[in-house]
Amino acid sequence: MHIQYGKKLKSGPGHWGLLLLGFWAAIALAGFFVTPYAPDAYTGKAFLAPSSAHWLGTNDVGQDIFSQLMAGARTSLGVAVGASIASAFLGALLGAGGALVGGWVERLTMRMMDIGLVIPPILAAMLAAAYLQPSPVTLVGILAFFFWPGTGRILRAQTLLLRESGPVTAARTFGAGRGYLLRRHILPDLAPVLSAAMIHDARRAVFLEAGLAFLGISDPTVQSWGRMIQQALAFTYLDVWQWWLLPPGIAVTTLVLAFALIGTGLEETHASD
Amino acid sequence: MRVARLLMDYAIAFFILCSLGFVLPRLLPGDPFLAIYGEEAALSMTPEMKVEIYRRFALDQSWTEQFGAYVGSLLRGDLGWSYFFNTPVMRVMTGFLPWTLLLAGASLLISTVSGFVLGLESGSRKGSRWDKGVFAGLMLLGGVPDFFVGTLLLLGFAVIWPLFPLGGATTVYGGLTGWAWAIDVLRHLALPLASLVLARMTTMYLLCRNSTVALLRSPFLRTARSKGCDEVAIRYRHLGRSVLLPAATSAGLHLSHLFAGILMIEVVFGYPGMGTLLQRALAARDYPLLQGILLLASVAVLGVNFIVELLYPILDPRVKTVCTSNTGKN
Repeated sequence: MHIQYGKKLKSGPGHWGLLLLGFWAAIALAGFFVTPYAPDAYTGKAFLAPSSAHWLGTNDVGQDIFSQLMAGARTSLGVAVGASIASAFLGALLGAGGALVGGWVERLTMRMMDIGLVIPPILAAMLAAAYLQPSPVTLVGILAFFFWPGTGRILRAQTLLLRESGPVTAARTFGAGRGYLLRRHILPDLAPVLSAAMIHDARRAVFLEAGLAFLGISDPTVQSWGRMIQQALAFTYLDVWQWWLLPPGIAVTTLVLAFALIGTGLEETHASD
Repeated sequence: MRVARLLMDYAIAFFILCSLGFVLPRLLPGDPFLAIYGEEAALSMTPEMKVEIYRRFALDQSWTEQFGAYVGSLLRGDLGWSYFFNTPVMRVMTGFLPWTLLLAGASLLISTVSGFVLGLESGSRKGSRWDKGVFAGLMLLGGVPDFFVGTLLLLGFAVIWPLFPLGGATTVYGGLTGWAWAIDVLRHLALPLASLVLARMTTMYLLCRNSTVALLRSPFLRTARSKGCDEVAIRYRHLGRSVLLPAATSAGLHLSHLFAGILMIEVVFGYPGMGTLLQRALAARDYPLLQGILLLASVAVLGVNFIVELLYPILDPRVKTVCTSNTGKN
């Protein structure tokens, strides 16, 4: 049951997913420290073609597109990581925790998940975002709030299985306490399911962050790939789409794809065990 | 018992969605009046209108009374006043709704049928080169965000190779009637529809392929084969029948993705439906309109999902009540 992820992700789709994710993570990390220009600074003439000074040219108001792309990677990955961690935390606390405690706590958390699962996360997140015009941190909160029931349900099902499984029963007969069981047996064996759920949430978060910014439902001062696409769409009659519209689109696609590939890789891990 | 529980869950979910529109503006610092209507609207309003709105939302009274007023107006179908269009939100939306419904209906139909056929063909040839190719292709396509599929098609077939119009739903001032008008509508519909079908087909394909693969070795297929049925008949009359219904109902539960996709695709192509209206409402900071659109979309999805979940065990008696929420069968 205890799986060595490094080994399992060394080949196949998971490997490619990790490479892609690593690529964007590197760009996002670099973007925290240095971008060629300030992403919102007016650095030259408008609509410059790519050159050594501006790797992807400039946009309609002379901002450097490559710098914006780097800043967008920062936002996108930041929201994805934040939302998946927050949703995993809530899901583990209420899903797995509820299943372990039992009694009325379990009934209450289960009911909360049933209701939460009924609400369509994409539209509900859009609705909430429309009111709040969220900064990335608020967006993480909104996404986690609507994502966690899915994660919670999976974790709950797995915890119920584990609670009755051989090793746990055996440990219990030897007098293991609740905390010990949780730490040594249940949490480690939840990891494969939890990681799959987190990858899934991260993928949805990247998609939603870009989608909301594309529609204009986000903090206008924060750089985002979705916003770049939205702005560039107005200029399809010029050649600028080649270096303004395509790069952020390809960026969102490859990042979503990276998470999807890792998810597939992890699923294959399950199947083979 | 199950129905009552389901009804309760949906009723509470509906209540939560509606309350978002009440709680969130009041969570923001400052005057809830400004949060509900936006600063631009507040500036352009006459004092009499402000008084009227205060009265309608009961803003000068306690929270419970405000909530009562809010729920009351929602129940009456009153979503507020769009200051940008200077018309009730409900009436603005009904003007834009037909185009969205056309797009939604057509894309739902085409993506379900094509996903079903591809999934069935792919699943019954599991492991072949054809299956692997289609599987990889659609997985890749399913990963591309809807609005980028739309953007690529727009660039490909309207900008670089101008086969189709850049946007809109009809030629403005075209003065077309009869067949010419219908063809014009279809030409404008082609690209947004194709983008939605391409982006949304994967779900249905995967569901159908999975259930096909799971059924490949079932006895009823062996019986059909030993009777001498030809493969096509077996695939569509025997296998297809047991695959389609559960897959289609499960796909119904993914309707929210289709709706979100439509909102974005419409923006790409400037298609005059709810998505374009949403964008206009955002640009004008017309908050009541904005919230009306998203509330309507979420409530519509909630309603359809409820009906689908109710019908699920009736349409497919194999589904026992214990696993009604389990959509993806492997």
